[in-house]
Amino acid sequence: MRFSNTIGAAFAAVALFAATPAAKAALLSPQDEESSDESGEEGFGEDDGPETHYFAVRGADVYTGTGEVLRGATVLAKNGRIKAIGYDVEIPGLDFQADVPSKERGYTAEVLDAAGYRVYPGMVAIESSGLLGTGGDYRDSIDPFDQNMILGLSTGITSTGQSNAACKLKRYISQDPPVPYDFDGIVLRDDCYANFSWGSGSARRSVREKLVRASEYLREYRQWQIDVKNDKELKEPSKKGVDNSVLDVLQGNVLAKFRADSREDLLGIARIAQEFGFRPAIDGCREGWTVAAELGRAGAFAIVTPRERRDKSEMLVREGGSSIENAAILYAAGVQVAIKPASRGISLGGITGRDIMHLPVEVGFAIRGGLPEDAAIAAVTTVPARMMGVSHRVGTLEVGKDCDLIVTDGDLLHYQTFVQWTVIDGQVVYDKQDELYFAHIRPRAETEVAPLRRLDAGENEEAAEEGDSEADGDDDKDKQNGKDEEE
Amino acid sequence: MRNQLTRFTGSFALGAAALLLGAQTVLANENKAPEPPAPTADRGLAIKARKALTVPLEGQQFIDNAVLLVKDGKIEAIGPAATTPIPLGYEVMDVGDQWLMPGMIDLHSHIAGTFDINDTVYLTNPGLRAHASVIPENPSLQRAVAGGVTTILFIPGSGSNMGGWGVLLKTGHDKYEEMQIRNPGSLKLAQAGNPESFLFGVGRSFMNWNTRNTFERGVAYAKRWEAFDQGQGPKPDRDLQFDIMNSLYKHETQVSTHTQIYQVVNATLTTVAEELKLPVYIDHGTFDGHRAAPRAMELGVSAILGPRSVDIPTAGFVRWSGSNPEKIGGVAAGYQEHGMEMIGFNTDAPVIPEEELSLQAAMGVRYGFKYDQLQTVRGLTIIPAVTAGIDGRVGSLEVGKDADVLIVTGDPADPRTSIEGVLIDGEKVYDPHENRRRW
Repeated sequence: MRFSNTIGAAFAAVALFAATPAAKAALLSPQDEESSDESGEEGFGEDDGPETHYFAVRGADVYTGTGEVLRGATVLAKNGRIKAIGYDVEIPGLDFQADVPSKERGYTAEVLDAAGYRVYPGMVAIESSGLLGTGGDYRDSIDPFDQNMILGLSTGITSTGQSNAACKLKRYISQDPPVPYDFDGIVLRDDCYANFSWGSGSARRSVREKLVRASEYLREYRQWQIDVKNDKELKEPSKKGVDNSVLDVLQGNVLAKFRADSREDLLGIARIAQEFGFRPAIDGCREGWTVAAELGRAGAFAIVTPRERRDKSEMLVREGGSSIENAAILYAAGVQVAIKPASRGISLGGITGRDIMHLPVEVGFAIRGGLPEDAAIAAVTTVPARMMGVSHRVGTLEVGKDCDLIVTDGDLLHYQTFVQWTVIDGQVVYDKQDELYFAHIRPRAETEVAPLRRLDAGENEEAAEEGDSEADGDDDKDKQNGKDEEE
Repeated sequence: MRNQLTRFTGSFALGAAALLLGAQTVLANENKAPEPPAPTADRGLAIKARKALTVPLEGQQFIDNAVLLVKDGKIEAIGPAATTPIPLGYEVMDVGDQWLMPGMIDLHSHIAGTFDINDTVYLTNPGLRAHASVIPENPSLQRAVAGGVTTILFIPGSGSNMGGWGVLLKTGHDKYEEMQIRNPGSLKLAQAGNPESFLFGVGRSFMNWNTRNTFERGVAYAKRWEAFDQGQGPKPDRDLQFDIMNSLYKHETQVSTHTQIYQVVNATLTTVAEELKLPVYIDHGTFDGHRAAPRAMELGVSAILGPRSVDIPTAGFVRWSGSNPEKIGGVAAGYQEHGMEMIGFNTDAPVIPEEELSLQAAMGVRYGFKYDQLQTVRGLTIIPAVTAGIDGRVGSLEVGKDADVLIVTGDPADPRTSIEGVLIDGEKVYDPHENRRRW
């Protein structure tokens, strides 16, 4: 599938090359790509093969994840990658070619009218269990029809760490004619971490030994690279006994992942990371707030669960134990914080608010402890993407990245908010009203803003804002009807 | 008040670390204006706030720009700042844009002490008393205070059909006598599920017979004492197993019932509420229990829901509860759709940590519970207070009630909202700015 896509893209590129002089310029200088897109706008269809698919969400407030909020903007994707975000984005198939039957356009286009809703980047769960099937290695367990995958998408999760890999929740969507499931398409990256054990004295000694060996090898190798220019016969240093994953860590290709909670362990990790010059990712990190400055200096990443508890040791006078402020204190010290919920899987027992389906709730508790809201959203989007080395594709909404986004009926972090649509690679893979799980809860037309805030109407700014979006809500109902007709 | 002040300084000495932190605060304060004189018994406290969620059972549910006067541990006055003058000499606390609300109440909690509250000696143990296990200021209670839960019903577990006496407690005091609101706080009745694993296994027909039999004998016992008190009979022998029946018969306490699934909730209503006419409420009430809501309303029975907040159609549960396999149903929403107004929330702590009581209401809303009339706040305060018959003291911000007051940054159900101060009986028991934030 991937192969045939590449061929398709190659054909498209050839067609582009032949079509316009502007496109020629684009091929010559890469930074002109954008302008070629602009000049190419008139030629929708000309450079598009029959496999070209456009997808657009328009009218929503777009929270790009990079700090910007574009109210009532459009996100346009071409073949699963974001092509444009902004205003006055021309959507192929809507305007000048509206009369041309879609079969004759040479491309397909899908438009989601989402005025009154919000668009966020799809969430990246740093860790989850069972969203791709039964758990374990995705190769053995992937089930593109799985209920847990749908429930993950309903939460707004579009990518997840699974074992050591970063995967997309690519659900199989029936199409006519049927297309084969793109197994390769689910993998963003295969080996995201080198896992280091830090739990015992012997484990710590082993980590140090491996690091010493790998760094010695790297030094010898670099010296050899210089010396070999003078002496072609010089032998390359032996790699025997050198751990490849540790080499990757020292070269910055992957993060070294530790599981640690206690202050002593965290300090030890911070020291060894600085000594050997690598960036550690620390899972747990419950006493991190007591040594936040040291972790910040070591350039650490932390995976925290704000509600997770650790009792303070009775033997110690100094600060210890878990703290609701952990994420906030770590963040303030420069640690990159990712958040995971107490339970990695989907819980169907009836108790809610603690499993991966309630990831935004866990994030809410970090905010309760003082984490700024933008850092809190980053903790389930950009930071995990960065940790897994896939931030060039997911985590924010930016031109060129994968079109993985969610459309919500309100603030992503409000407990009442539902994900209405989830989009992966420019394809709607979840629609709340089409699934049996939540369709009956506040059906789309009845969606309102949180009434508690309305109590303040006209008396403070926040309330005034809420009032506005309420007005948008009405507006959006009409638009919604329009959308239904289109479908 | 003087005692309270000593207690407050005493808590600083708990740990040297806390003391160090405290020292910093003291140093910072030295540069400011001189300390006001120590509070005396006749000096009250005035709290000014942007909004007070007063949530009385009836009437206006909130006051904007509110002033709350606290005197001798009680609410002396509450009203809009314009019409509520602050008496001379009162300590004034202005909490700015933050809101006030009554302390939250959890009618299903197991965290007030040691966990030996499930002594399944017999299948019915109405004589056992949970209050013997209470440990004031234990870590779970301290977190409960930080989470805004100021009153709990500490009850026995559900290992037997009747676990014994629950006790209603304030969470923030250091002495048992100060904590206790009412003992017996309830008689814990547990139906189906857990008690079925007692001994060799007990089925539902025996369970219902046994429950009814115990209650009938207990009511007869209470009637004998009533007759004796009115001088119409001989003095009955005291039976510790049935002591609580006197309170129940006089409606001075309630039966808090571990009951879920329509079949079982309905049995509770029939036996306890309809036939025996004892005060009772539904505790848990989950799965498809909401189908009994119309009958519960007729009989004046409240529903205190949790720790489950949804009914999810998985094969196992469908078989067990006969629930609708087509959707994820909100439990609180189910009761509300039947018109039930007396809906409260519980945690079954430690199943859900006590400090997360407010999240239970939020999860209710997520799954369809409407909160346009502050039903979430009510379900955490006044509804459980009325249900447990302690609304004369707690559950709302009304004149004469205990000054159990929370200072919150906004919507109390939102996990992002933090609690910036807790008063219990007018005493400042939690201040995240003086000690470390606990929740």
